[in-house]
This record gives sequence, structure tokens and C-alpha cells, in this order.
Amino acid sequence: MAGLLVLGANQVALGDMLFILVSFIVLAVLVKHFAWGPVTKMMDARSEKISGDLDYADQERSRAEKLAKDREDALKNSRAEAVGIVNKAKESGETQKKSIVSDAHSEAEEVRQRAKSDAEKAKQDAMSDAQNDIASLSLEIASKVISKELNADDQKSLIDSYIKELTVNETK
Amino acid sequence: MDDKYKFIEFLGLRFNVANDLSVLVAGALVFILVFALSRKITLRPGKAQNVLEWMIDFTNSIVKSAMPDGSGKQFNLYAFVLFLFIFVSNQLGLIFQLKIGGFTYVKSPTSNPLITMGLATISLLLSHYYAVKKFGFGGYVSNYARPVKFLLPINLLEEFTNFLTLSLRLYGNIFAGEVLLALIGSVAKSVGAVTFIAAIPLAMVWQGFSVFIGAIQAYVFTTLSMVYISRKLEQE
Repeated sequence: MAGLLVLGANQVALGDMLFILVSFIVLAVLVKHFAWGPVTKMMDARSEKISGDLDYADQERSRAEKLAKDREDALKNSRAEAVGIVNKAKESGETQKKSIVSDAHSEAEEVRQRAKSDAEKAKQDAMSDAQNDIASLSLEIASKVISKELNADDQKSLIDSYIKELTVNETK
Repeated sequence: MDDKYKFIEFLGLRFNVANDLSVLVAGALVFILVFALSRKITLRPGKAQNVLEWMIDFTNSIVKSAMPDGSGKQFNLYAFVLFLFIFVSNQLGLIFQLKIGGFTYVKSPTSNPLITMGLATISLLLSHYYAVKKFGFGGYVSNYARPVKFLLPINLLEEFTNFLTLSLRLYGNIFAGEVLLALIGSVAKSVGAVTFIAAIPLAMVWQGFSVFIGAIQAYVFTTLSMVYISRKLEQE
């Protein structure tokens, strides 16, 4: 009976279990080395890249949004700035106009003043010239009188005639 | 069935040539398949890489359904190889059987209980190994008396029933498929042209069904292996 059992056990090809154990392990190692390793590595790399790309896209989008907002703000600001510049230009134009007009006024006044004073001076000059003329004429008359030895009547008539002549010259 | 096999004695162990040759053929087919599919690995996958990644995702999802917390990542490779090997083994006997001089040389390796027991042994050894690694030997032993002490004999018995159901379910399905296919074959030869013609649709239907069964059994074996491993790795 025992012999039969041993024989029965002997009939079972237990080596097959060992064989499949070994061959399965070898197969697993080969698959891992040639296919599983590279493919799973690539799958991990891909999922990493995808998540990285998504992060990058999020970043870029928020950056673009910020940029657009900045641009919009700048545009709004520039409009206000333009209005300010125009206003300022108007203002400065106004003040410039005023200053030019007042300058012109003062200049005209000055010119008038100068003309007036010039005229005054010319009159004065003319007067003094006339006086000088009278003095020199007097001197000439005197010298003529002295050289001619006139009598009193002649002298008188001479002076009168000179004075008449003078007044005629004056009124002329 | 009444197939005859050649045996080899080596180092005091008996080797069934048909089983071992079939295991080699199936393993070689699996290797050729994944090797051919993984020649051009790029970040943008081509057709072959897509197929391979689809298979990997499929077996990864099996592992994930048993161990949802991501602790099962280390078993992904095992599930992948196990699924492909069993699937190819199941289909091998349907596609091609080699008989020379009355002796069978190539068939489905999974139609032999010793081969399926060998596969189940690998799964259960892994589960015990990782349980000891996780809880230490003391914790591993005390897990048999959880959740209550009187369940100890049932838990011990469960180890054997797990082993037997896992291996014999696969063996039974594939073996029965081959038996029925052989029966249909013998029906075809029994009378003559009439039975031969009548047997053709039967054989076609049963072969299609066997392909389906082979795929289902590969899936079931892989799933149950992962479930057993995950149960060993959690404390009740």
C-alpha cells in the first residue's frame, strides 16, 4: 500500500511545478527588461509631461490674463493722460496768449513813451538851437554894429528890423 | 483524455514533456508578443505601443480594483505577465496541438492541474511573502486569529481552499474545453461525411466559446490572485 502510494506520487510529474515556477520567473524578468520597464517608464514620463504641460498652460494663461489687464489699465490711463495733456496744452496756450498780448501792450506803451520823449527831446533841442541861433545872431549884430559905427537911430532901426525879422522867422 | 505523454526523470523529479514544452511555447509566445510590441517606445505612442499600453492599463486596473490605495503598484508587473501567460496558454491548445507517434507534445499547459497549481503557488507564495514583509512574522501569524480567535481553523483551511479553487478552477475550465473539443472531433470521425459536416458548426461554436472562456479565466485568475494578495496585506 505504502509502495503504491509512493509509486502514485512518483507518477505525478512534480517537476512540472518547478519547471513552471522557473520559466514563469524567467519570463517575468525578460518581459520586465525588454517591454515592461521601457513602456512603464515612458508612460510615467508621459503622465509627468502632461501634468507639467497643464501646469505650464495654467501659468501661461494667468500670465496672459495679467498682461491683458495691464494693457487695459494702461489704455485707460493713457486716455486720461491724453485728456490731461490736451487740457494742459490749452491752458498753457491760454497763458501764453495772455502773456504775448500783455507783452505787446507794454511794448507798444514803451514805444509810444519813447516816441513821446523823443519828440520832447527834439523840441527841446530845437529850442536850444534857436536860442543859440539868437545868441549868435545877437553876437553877429553886435559885431556888425560895432564895425559899422552906427548912430542911435540907425542902431535902433537896425535892431528893430532884426527883431522883426526874428519874429517873422519865429512865427514862420 | 486518453492522451499519452512522454516523461523524463531528472534529479529524481518527473517532468512531463508535453507540459514543459507547452509552457515554453506559451512563454515564448508571450515574450515575442510584448517584445514585438515594445520595439519603438516613444512619448507619442505608435500603434504597437498603444496596444501594449492598453494591455498594461487593463492589468493595472485589475490590481487597482483589488488594492485601490495604490499599494499594489509592485504587483503590476506580476499581474501583467500572469494575465498574458494564462491567456496565451489557454488559447494555445485551441490553436495548435502537436501529437507525434501517439504522444502529445504541445497543448494548453493550463489543461494540466500541476501547471495551474504551480501558478497558484506563485500567487500564494507572493501573498505570504509580502504579508510577512509588511507585518513581520509575528503579525503575519497573528493575522490567522483575526478578527476573532475561533476563526483560526477556518482561516487555516481557507489557505488550502484558496489554493485548490484558484488552481482547479482554471484547470477544470480549460481541460473541459479540450475534452469537449476532442469529443466533437471523435463525433466527426465516427460515421462519415454526415457527422463530419454536422460537427463543423459545433466545433466552431465551441472553439469560439473556448476562446471566450480562456480570456475570462485568465481575468479571473489574475483578479483572484490580486484579491488573495490584498487580503493578506490588510488586517481585519
